[in-house]
Amino acid sequence: MAERLLYADVVIVGGGIAGTAIARELSQYELDVILLEKEIELCFGVTKATHSFIHCGLPEEDTPLINKLSLESNPMFNQLCKELDVPFMRVGKLYTVMNKNEIKILEKIKEKGDIVGVPNLEIVNKEKLREMEPNITDKAVAALYTPTTGLVSPWELVIALAENAMENKVKIMLNTKVTQILPQEDDVFIIKTNRGFIKSKFLINAAGLFADEIANMIGEDNFVMIPLKEERYILDERITGLVNHLIRSPITGDFISPTKKELAPIENNIIMGCVPQKIKDKTDATTSKEGFKRVFNYAKEMFPSISAKDIITSFAGSVPLNSRTNDYIIEPSQRVPKFINAILGGIGVTASPAMAKLIVEILISQGLKLIKKQNFNPYRKGIPDFRTLPEEERKALIAKDPRYGHVVCRCETVTEGEIVEAIRRGARTVDGVKYRTKAGMGRCQGGFCGPRVIEILARELNIPVTEVTKKGNNSRLLLFKSKELLRKNWR
Amino acid sequence: MVLQKADLVVIGAGPAGVAAAIKAKEMGVNNVIIMERAEQLGGLLHQCIHNGFGLQYFKEDLTGPEYAYNFIEKAKGLGIKFLLETMALDISPKREITAVSNKEGIINLHPKAIILAMGCRERTRGAINIPGTRPAGIFTAGVAQRFVNVEGFIPGKKVVILGSGDVGMIMARRLTLEGVKVEAMVEILPYVGGLIRNEVQCIHDFNIPLFLEHTVVDVHGTERVKAVTIAKIDKDRNPIYKTKRKIECDTLLLSVGLIPENELSLKAGIKLDPVTGGPIVDETMQTNVSGIFAAGNVVHVHDLVDYVSFEGELAGSNAANYILSQALFPKMKINLKAGEGIRYIVPSTISGQKKATLYMRVLKPDRDVVVKVGDDFLRKHLPIVKPSEMLKIIIPLSKLKMLKDETKELTISCTKGRK
Repeated sequence: MAERLLYADVVIVGGGIAGTAIARELSQYELDVILLEKEIELCFGVTKATHSFIHCGLPEEDTPLINKLSLESNPMFNQLCKELDVPFMRVGKLYTVMNKNEIKILEKIKEKGDIVGVPNLEIVNKEKLREMEPNITDKAVAALYTPTTGLVSPWELVIALAENAMENKVKIMLNTKVTQILPQEDDVFIIKTNRGFIKSKFLINAAGLFADEIANMIGEDNFVMIPLKEERYILDERITGLVNHLIRSPITGDFISPTKKELAPIENNIIMGCVPQKIKDKTDATTSKEGFKRVFNYAKEMFPSISAKDIITSFAGSVPLNSRTNDYIIEPSQRVPKFINAILGGIGVTASPAMAKLIVEILISQGLKLIKKQNFNPYRKGIPDFRTLPEEERKALIAKDPRYGHVVCRCETVTEGEIVEAIRRGARTVDGVKYRTKAGMGRCQGGFCGPRVIEILARELNIPVTEVTKKGNNSRLLLFKSKELLRKNWR
Repeated sequence: MVLQKADLVVIGAGPAGVAAAIKAKEMGVNNVIIMERAEQLGGLLHQCIHNGFGLQYFKEDLTGPEYAYNFIEKAKGLGIKFLLETMALDISPKREITAVSNKEGIINLHPKAIILAMGCRERTRGAINIPGTRPAGIFTAGVAQRFVNVEGFIPGKKVVILGSGDVGMIMARRLTLEGVKVEAMVEILPYVGGLIRNEVQCIHDFNIPLFLEHTVVDVHGTERVKAVTIAKIDKDRNPIYKTKRKIECDTLLLSVGLIPENELSLKAGIKLDPVTGGPIVDETMQTNVSGIFAAGNVVHVHDLVDYVSFEGELAGSNAANYILSQALFPKMKINLKAGEGIRYIVPSTISGQKKATLYMRVLKPDRDVVVKVGDDFLRKHLPIVKPSEMLKIIIPLSKLKMLKDETKELTISCTKGRK
């Protein structure tokens, strides 16, 4: 195949929360925007395994940019999620302490929050805390309540941002890895990828954990990205109703997510968390016995009725940190000013909407002319969520497409209609179907629906079953046809 | 739809459900409907293409599909209605069922009785918390069985199996016959988890390396499984790290237990036994919710399908009695309690008015034991017991009649002894 040359005003490298938030923000202007993602699907990097909290904006010591962006972003989520049809709920957080002496810590946090304008912070006493969390341990003495803390599904948000950006003419290229960046004399970049060349006026580095490798390509080598690993454990849906708010220790950072029934579209099982630890390998997503002990002990301490039997799965993710600062790096490169770093870190999902607006300001300051599109459509509609629809809407959906009457994933009640629609919108792998529809995310972890999902993927993508992968590249699930090995052995 | 007229709805068309429906129909229940979420009848039997089924029920050695076929043909002949690819979404404590299918859309039913026969599912990696990476190539043994026997695909060519349940052992043999190298079967207990006959016929006869008191401590590979690390465990089940060994493989199969599938039961307000994971049932297989019965692996995981069918028939005949003449139901007067050496007993209560058939499992394997009912009410010597092999004890009516009227509880124990 002849290598092609594409033209763009802005190229975004990275299809996680940073890249898709910027793509959607830029899609309201008259621009040619291309987003490049090296994986087979969007949101297959760090965003996929991040937690779902939208932080209230309580400030930390040495992270002015994180503080500013998260405080600005938090109130934007109602409007954003409404436009994008992404479930969002302000569940509130309780920074809970077990010792009277520790109430001082809560007061200090509150004071700092009040100064910067985090709304409606309140210290609740033991009685009020028990009223808000009837199942919490007796040992909990007080909590700082942050009512604006929210929950959103990070991958739903990324997919929605990308779908809306595409609706507004942003081009997204998957399986596309940047291999070389060549700044040209006339102030443009030639970007070399495994799928051809792109000529672009601006380049935004939103490559997350791999942002250092992209920056290196223009000779910027003053930082490296360091993964901070977090382990998570998901509990059976039976625990629904046990925890009402996000519970967090202000001392260790350990947390437990709420499990309200109304959260079903976002996440209906408790995710128990764990504070991160620095690791070397960027692809390390292993979980450990020690991590489990730590996470489980905190959950059990806070909610004694949680049992190890309730755990249905575990996973690990990484927060991308940079070696230069504790803060984000959202700025033009010192070397090549039209190369703009958009490197988030912890609580990146929270900060993403304000970050995207900041990128727009930076682009303008670097000379990009922006004209608003006349026909920008801010709305996107999600895949129908059969499980949470009222009976009348279910009936209407099945009448329109009978595949919505065929339940494929029994644990999460996901229908064939939803899976086919997810594939139509870009799911290419079993994991991609899982993130978009929740098929395989329940207690049996794909035991029953796994074979069905593989079959539907093969059918809809018109590929052999043996080519279906879990997450792209070399992650094929079924390596041989029946008798194939025997034939090989006999030869 | 006219389906609302159902007298009896059976949820699940596996061996328990079909046997239950046949029995109820034979006893005169008019409208019997079986609701099944898969596209075919027979439950998981259709993927169990090995033999060993039916020795108790048919006195004949059959394959899984043959065993199922006998029941399905009979059920069809009797005019039992089947709703395939139909998923029950909800059951209320008043026996109102909401279901969905692509043919009928949303279905609402309000039968006079319900029999739960949803079977069980496999425990997964998450449930046993194996550390390591999350690559492709990790399957439960039952899923692998479906791929190999029904779909016609082989997961990989070098396999390690964690756990030694029956499905795992059957798959060790099946995969070997397909040209796959089964590198190891790794079992955390000091003995094999499944039936003795499977250990002999599937593991020893095929020279599968068996590592007892070992577990998987790490999984390697980011895209596809590349290897697993196994290690011996100490008496607290912690891995002994100097015994670690890495085994190259592309697939890890899990055969680490089955869990009765009772999410629907919980919606109906049915109480579950924390040991079995299934509904607490009395000798009629009725749950605590009036008119809702349960049978088969949804109640407790069986090792032989024949007993699943017997249990289905018991539930079917009692559901028929419930529908046709509620007055005939005796009061349950005696609780059965698992004593020393016994993990659980099904049923949990009996009436004392008729012969009682008790199914139970022991806690650990042993030789020369005595199973005792009550203080010295009934005793039975057994030369060998294993947790994987279910025990069946029958208390004849003549014996029960000798019980004092005030007897409210019978404890069943299993202790060392010859008499």
